[in-house]
Amino acid sequence: MIQHVLRVILFVIVTSLAVTGPSFATPAKEAPWLPEAAAYRLTLFLGNLAPVPWYKVEQAWSEPYHGSEYRLGALAWLDRESAVDVGDLTDAIGWQDRHAVHVAATRLIALRIEEELDAATAADNPAVSQRAVATAKELYRAFADHIKAADPDAARTLGRAWLELNNATGSAGVLGAGAKEQDSDAMTTARAVISAYLAENYLVADPAPRQTLTAVPEAIARTGQPVELPAALPPGSDIFDQDPLPLLVLNFEEQGIDETDLPLIAYGDMLFDSAEIFGGPARDLGIACSTCHNRSDINQRFFIPGASHQPGAVDVDGAFFNPMFNDRRDDPIDIPSLRGLRFTGPYGRDGRFASLRDFSRNVIVNEFAGEEPTPFMLDALVAYMTEFDFLPNSLVTGDGQLTEAAPDAARRGEEVFNRPFVGMGNQSCASCHTPSGNFLDRKSHDIGSVAAAYEGSHAGALDTPTLLGTLYTAPYFHDGALPTLASVVDWFDETKNLGLTDAERSDLTAYLETVGAADEPYEAFDTANTPFRLAFAELTTFASTLDTLLPKRDAQHILVLTDTVAADLAADAGTMANLSSRPEVYALAERLAEVGAAVRAENWAAAETSWSLFKTDAAAIEEKAF
Amino acid sequence: MMPRLNRRHLLILAAAGLVSQPMPALAQSDPLRLAFIPQENPDKLLGDIKAITAWLSSEIGVPVEGFVTIDHAAAVEALRNGDADISFMGALPFVLAEREIGAIPLLSEVYRDTPSYTGRVFVRRDSGFKMLADLEGRDIAFADPISESGYMYPLAEFERAGLVSSPDAAEDFFGRIFFAGGYQQAMQAMAEGLVDAAGASQYADLLLTPEQQSQVTWIAESDAIPSHVVIARPELDAELRENFVAAMMKLNMPEHRDKLRYLYGPDGYVEADPSVFDGVRTMAQRFGLL
Repeated sequence: MIQHVLRVILFVIVTSLAVTGPSFATPAKEAPWLPEAAAYRLTLFLGNLAPVPWYKVEQAWSEPYHGSEYRLGALAWLDRESAVDVGDLTDAIGWQDRHAVHVAATRLIALRIEEELDAATAADNPAVSQRAVATAKELYRAFADHIKAADPDAARTLGRAWLELNNATGSAGVLGAGAKEQDSDAMTTARAVISAYLAENYLVADPAPRQTLTAVPEAIARTGQPVELPAALPPGSDIFDQDPLPLLVLNFEEQGIDETDLPLIAYGDMLFDSAEIFGGPARDLGIACSTCHNRSDINQRFFIPGASHQPGAVDVDGAFFNPMFNDRRDDPIDIPSLRGLRFTGPYGRDGRFASLRDFSRNVIVNEFAGEEPTPFMLDALVAYMTEFDFLPNSLVTGDGQLTEAAPDAARRGEEVFNRPFVGMGNQSCASCHTPSGNFLDRKSHDIGSVAAAYEGSHAGALDTPTLLGTLYTAPYFHDGALPTLASVVDWFDETKNLGLTDAERSDLTAYLETVGAADEPYEAFDTANTPFRLAFAELTTFASTLDTLLPKRDAQHILVLTDTVAADLAADAGTMANLSSRPEVYALAERLAEVGAAVRAENWAAAETSWSLFKTDAAAIEEKAF
Repeated sequence: MMPRLNRRHLLILAAAGLVSQPMPALAQSDPLRLAFIPQENPDKLLGDIKAITAWLSSEIGVPVEGFVTIDHAAAVEALRNGDADISFMGALPFVLAEREIGAIPLLSEVYRDTPSYTGRVFVRRDSGFKMLADLEGRDIAFADPISESGYMYPLAEFERAGLVSSPDAAEDFFGRIFFAGGYQQAMQAMAEGLVDAAGASQYADLLLTPEQQSQVTWIAESDAIPSHVVIARPELDAELRENFVAAMMKLNMPEHRDKLRYLYGPDGYVEADPSVFDGVRTMAQRFGLL
C-alpha cells in the first residue's frame, strides 16, 4: 500500500481547508473525484456564477473534468456504472432552470449513494462490499464538507456510521488467509443512519429554492440560518506552481545585495506571496499574486473552471473573485509575465493603468476583493515588483541586437523582423517591438486580434508586449489563442498578407525564439536546493522585516506578515524531503504565530522575545531545511 | 510455410547457435505477461499499463503484455497457472505467494532513498497522548486487517510495549478498533476526532491537508517494512527474468524516470533481497496468516 500513499500524497483534499484563520498560500492537491461527484460540485460552482455559464454546466456532465483520471464524462460514466435515471437532470439543464438542476443533481448523487449502499449490503463477499462502500463514501464527499459546516453534530454521527459500515464489511484476507466475514447486522445499522439522513435532507420531495447553490442539508437550508461554508475550488481546478518553476531574477540580488537589508522590498515580496491582502474567496483559497505570476513570470497550469477558458488564463473580473467587480463578460485573459515590469508600463493587457501603483491597488481591491491597502503596502509591493528583471540572455545585447552566439536563422529572421510591410501600414515588427526598448513601445495598438465586442467597436487595442523571455510563456496573445511563436508568425503573415516564404517564416520564428530565450529560464532544484529550502529562505527573509516593524510598533503590518508567514511555513513543511524535521518547522511557525498573538495583545515585550527566539531557531533549522 | 515456433523452441535454437539475432531481441514469440493489482481508477491503470509495457517490450525485445487482476489472489493464481509471468505485489502477499507457489522476488520499490518504510501510530497533537499506554480504552482506526503498515506493524508496537498480549487480544486494550478502509480514511477519522488514534504508514499524514498535518503527530513507529516488490513465477526463464530486471533498473536513470509514474509511482527500484522479508514472514505467522 505504500506506493498508493506516496502517489496519493499529491492528492490531498483541498476542499476541507477551513476558512477560519490565516490562509495557506501552499495549496493542497485533492484526491480524484468520481465523475458524477465532480460534475455535481462543478454544477454548484458554475450555478453560482452570474450569469450562469450554461454551456459549461452541460459540459460538466458530458465531459471529463479538467485533469480527470476518468476518460468518461459523468453521464457516460453513469450510463455504464449506474441504473439511476438522469432524465430529470438533463431536462433541467436543457431548460436552464437553476433550481431544477440543483434539485435533480442533488437527488442524483443521493440516489447514487443509496445504490452503492444497496450493493454493499447485498454483496456476499467482503471485497465487493468494501468497494461499494468506498464508492458510496466517495460520492458522499460531494456533500460532506457542507454537512460538516452546517450540521457538525450530524457530520460526526455520519462519520462514525461510515466507519462502522466499512468496519462491518469484513475482509477478503490475502490469498485466502486472514479472511473476516461481513457483519450484516452492523452494516444494516450503520447504513440506516446514513440513509435516514439522506432521505431527510437530500431526497426530499420538494426542496426549497436556494439563492446560493450548496450541498447544505435541506433541514438546515430551510431554517434560513446562515452557514459559513469552507472556501473550495471546484474539481479540475489547479492553482499549483508551474513545473518547472520559473527562475526569479531580482535586480538587487544579481548585484549581491541581501534582501534582508531591504526591508521595504522584503515586505513587498511577502505581500506578493500573501493571500492576506485579498478578500474572500481568493484569500481563503490561498491565492496570492505569486499564484498566477510564479516567480515574477506566469503560471501555465493555473486553471479554475468557470474562470479560466484554458490553463494559464483567468477572468479576474468575473463573478467568482469579486461579485462587485463582475463585468458579466466571459473574457478570461492569458496570464502575463511581470519580468522587467518597470520597463513595461502602461499596465493591464490594454494598458489602462499608467501607474503600477494604481494597477496593483485595482488588483487587490477590485479584482480580488481585498481591503484598501495602506500606502506602505502599495509602496512595498511596487518596490518589490520593480526589481523584477528580464531573464539574462547571452544571445541578445541590452539594446536588442543579436550577439555572435545567435544562430544564423535568427540573423536572417532579424532582417524580416525589421522589414516594413505594406500589410502592416509600412511598419515592421520592430516598429512596435522596438529592440532597443526591450522589444516594446509602451503603446497600445489594435492589430485585429480582439473580436469586436459590438458593431462599430473601437476597443481592440492592446498594450505591446515585450518579446523578451517569451520562449517560455506560451500560449500567446491576450487570450492565449496561439500556442507557439511559429503560430504567431503564421497569424501575422496570414492576417496582414505579409507574403512570407516558408523559409522566412521559419527564420522569423527562429529570431523570436532567440530574442525570447534565456540562459537559465527555470529554477534548478537538486538535493541541496530543494523547493522547501527555497520556500524556507523566502519565508525567513519575509520575517526579517520584523526587525524594522517591531521597533516601530507597526501592528497592522506585522499581523499581515505573521499571519502569512506562520501559516505558509507550517503548510510548506509537508513538502519537505527531510520529513523528520517537520516538527521543528511547525514549532518555528508557532513561534512566529506567537509574535502575532503578542502584538494582538499589545504585549510588545513578548513579541520581541518570540521574534528573537524565532531567529535563533530558524538559524538552527536552516541546515536541515530541505 | 515456416513452422510456428514457440518461445521454448526459439530458446533451444538460440542455445544451439542457430539464431544470430543480437540482443536485446530475445527470441520469444510468447509475450511476457505482467499482472497488475488494481489500486485506483482502473481506466488510468489500463493507460499506464499500455505505456509501460510498450516501453518494456522495446527494451527487452520480446512482446510484453499487462493485465489487471481482481486482487492479489488472482495475481498469484495467474502466476501459478502461467497466465502471468510477473506481478507487482505488497510484501505480505509476496510471502504468502512464496509459500503457495515459490514466487521469486525480483525488484523492490524505492521511496525516499530506501526500499522500506514503517508504520506509525498517529494522534492529534492536542490530544495529550504521549505514549501508547495513553490509548487504553480509546478508539483507534487502522487501515485494513491485512495491511502491514496500516495494522499489523503498528499493532505489534502495542505488543512490544506490553499493552496487548496478542493480535486477538487487541480488543481488550482499546475501546473500539475500526478498520477504516485505507490510510486516508483512518487518518481522516483521527484528524476529525472520530477516533483517538490511527495506525498507518509513516507517510500517511501527508494524505491530510497541510493544516491537518500540522495538527497531528505520531507516538510510536514500527520496525522497517519492505516496500512493494515485483515478483516472478519460479518457472520463468532465467535469462528473460534477468533482462526484465535490467530493463526495470533503467527506470532509475534520469532519462527514464518519467516512466515510473506508470508503475504506482515509486522513486525507483533496487534488486530485491529475499532476506529482508524475514520480518514479514514472522509477522504473518504471528497474525495467523502463514
